[in-house]
Amino acid sequence: MNFEIVELFSIILFFISFFGLITSKKALKSIVFTLLLQTAVVMFFLSIGFGENILPPIGEYVANPDYVHRVADPLPQALMLTAIIIGVSVSAINIVMLMTIFRKHKTTDWDIIKKENMG
Amino acid sequence: MLSFFVVAPILIAVFLYLFSNQTCRLLAITAQAVLVGFACYLFYISRDQAVITVIGDYDGSLGITLVSDYIASVFVLLTALIFLIAAIYSFHEYNTKMFWFLLFIWESLLIGIFLSRDFFNIFVLLEVATVIVSILIMFDRNNRSMYDGIIYLMINIVAIQFFLFGIGYVYKFTGTLDMHLAALSFAELGPTAALLPHALIMTAVGFKCALLPLFSWLPKAHGTPGAPSPVSAILSGLQIKIGLYLFLRFQTVFEDIAVTEFFLFIGVITGIVGVILAITEKDIKLILAYSTVAQMGLIMVGLGIDGAYAYIGSLYHIVNHAVFKSALFLSAGVIIHTYHTRNIYEIQGVLRRSPIIGIATIMAVFGITGTPLFNGSISKYFMMSGAGQFVSAAMILINLGTIIVFIRFARILFGHCQGDLCAIKRDRYQEVAVLILCLFCFVGGIFGEEIVQFLFGAYVAVSPAGYLEKTGIFFASWAAGYLIVKYVIERSKLLGKVRMISLNFRGMCASLGVFFAVVLLVSSYFTN
Repeated sequence: MNFEIVELFSIILFFISFFGLITSKKALKSIVFTLLLQTAVVMFFLSIGFGENILPPIGEYVANPDYVHRVADPLPQALMLTAIIIGVSVSAINIVMLMTIFRKHKTTDWDIIKKENMG
Repeated sequence: MLSFFVVAPILIAVFLYLFSNQTCRLLAITAQAVLVGFACYLFYISRDQAVITVIGDYDGSLGITLVSDYIASVFVLLTALIFLIAAIYSFHEYNTKMFWFLLFIWESLLIGIFLSRDFFNIFVLLEVATVIVSILIMFDRNNRSMYDGIIYLMINIVAIQFFLFGIGYVYKFTGTLDMHLAALSFAELGPTAALLPHALIMTAVGFKCALLPLFSWLPKAHGTPGAPSPVSAILSGLQIKIGLYLFLRFQTVFEDIAVTEFFLFIGVITGIVGVILAITEKDIKLILAYSTVAQMGLIMVGLGIDGAYAYIGSLYHIVNHAVFKSALFLSAGVIIHTYHTRNIYEIQGVLRRSPIIGIATIMAVFGITGTPLFNGSISKYFMMSGAGQFVSAAMILINLGTIIVFIRFARILFGHCQGDLCAIKRDRYQEVAVLILCLFCFVGGIFGEEIVQFLFGAYVAVSPAGYLEKTGIFFASWAAGYLIVKYVIERSKLLGKVRMISLNFRGMCASLGVFFAVVLLVSSYFTN
C-alpha cells in the first residue's frame, strides 16, 4: 500500500477544514472545523514515519533485533499524543466559552454575536 | 540550570495557592523580586558564553535544548522585570489567588519560549500561553470580554495549526526538531525543500507579530474592557514580542529563503495602517492597542533593514517598547479606574487629579514618540541609520502618525477635574509601579549608548550631527502633527466610518489563508 496517499489526504483535509472555517456562519461549526484541522495535522505527522514494510514501534517488534531496523520512527507519535491532549483541553475551554456566549445571546451566529458586542 | 527558570515560576504558583489571599500577594511580590535577581545572574553569566542545558542529558541532537545567549537572556530579564512591575501594580486591585496563579504560570511559559530551541516545545508553550491569556482576558467576566476571549482563543488555535504543520514538514525533511540542527540540514538540502515549512511557520509567526492582514485579534485581546490592566500591559509588552523573537530565531533556520524585503514592505504597511486605525479610535485602551500594531510594523522594518546598527536598534526598540507601552497601559488602568470611562473625550485633568500618573504618562508618551533624551529616540535613531531613502521616509511617516495619535491622547492630561473625582484615594503601589517604568524610559535615553552596549554587547555610537538632524525632523513632525490634529482630524467625519471596519472570525481565517498564500508565492518567486 502506498502511504504517500495518507500525506496527500491530510493536506487535502487541512484545506477542506480551513475552507470550512472561512465559510461556516455558526460558532459551533467553527469549533468542529478546528478539531478537523487538528486531525489533519495529526494525520500528517503519522504519515511521516510510515512506509512499505514498516512495523509499528510497539510490543515485540522493538525488543526483537530482527525487526528493529524496520520499526517506524516513534517520535511523531509521541509528539502527536501531546498535541492531541492539548487539542482536547483547548477545545473543552472553547466549548465552555461558547456555552456562556450562547446563554447570553441565544445564538451561535458569528455575525449576530459580533453585532451585539460591538454595536 | 536553565530548566530552573521555566520550572520555578510554576512551582511558586502552586505553592502560593496554599496561602490566603493576603499572604499570597506579599509572597508573590517577594518571589518576583527573587526571580528578577536570578534573571540578572543569568544575564551576567550569559555574557561570556551561551549557557546550554540539554534536558535529559542526551547529546545535542536527541534531547530538548534550552539555550540562553545574548538576546535570550535580555528577554528573560525583561520578562522578570515587567512581571515584577505588574505584581507591584496589582497589589491592591487584583488580590485573588487565581490571578497570581495564572500570572506565574504565564511567566514560566514566556521564559520557556525565550529559552527553548526546540520546535515542538515552542508549539506546546505557545498553545498553553494562549489558553492562559484567554482566561486572563476574561478575568473580569463582562459582556464583551467573553467575545474577545473566544475570538482570541479560536483564531490562535487555527494559526498554531499552521505552525504545527510547518513543524511536521521540518521533521519530515530534516529528521530533527532542534533549531540549530534543522538550520544545518536546510543549508544542505537547499532552498526548495525549505519553502513550504517556511511559509507555514512564517504565517503563524506573522500572526503572532500582528502583521498587516492578521492584526484584527490584537485590539480585541489587548484593548478588551474585561482584562485587568497589568494583563494588558504584559500582553502588549511581552506576549507580542514572542512573535518578533520567533521571527528572529526562524530567520536563522531558513537562511536561504530571501524574503527580508517582503517582510520589510509588510512592516511599512502595518505601521501605516496601525497609526491610521489608532487615530480613528477614541477608546483609551484601543488607541494603545492599535499603536502597538504600528510599533510592531516599525520594529519589523528595522529588522528588515540590512546592517548591524538597524538590527541592534530594533532589538533595543523591542525592549523600549515593552517599557513604555507597559507604562502607558498601567497608567491607563489607573485613569479608567478613576474616571469610570474609556472615552478620551470624556476624561479631563489627569495631571491635576493624580500628578504622578500624569507625569508618568507624559514621560511614556515622550518615549514612544521618540522625543530627544528619551529611550525611543535612541532606538529609532539606530534603526534609521541603515535605512535607504524610501524606508526612512516611511519610518518618519509612521513616527508622525504616532505623534498625531499621542497628541490626541494627551488631551486627557489637561483641563479641570471635577471635585468629586479629586477626593478618591490614590493607590501608592500603582503609582510606584508606573514611576519605575518611566524612570527606565528616561535613563534609557540619557545613557542610550551605554545601555545598548550593556544589553547586547555591541559597540555603537550616536553621532551628534545625525542625532541633531533627527531632533530637527522630530520637532518638525511634532509641529505638523499638531496642525493636522487641530485642523484635519478634529473636524473630519471620516473617523467614525473607519472605526466601524473590523473583521469577524471568518474574515480573520480568510486573511490567514491569504497571508500564507502570499508568503509561499513571494518566497518561491524570490528563491528561484
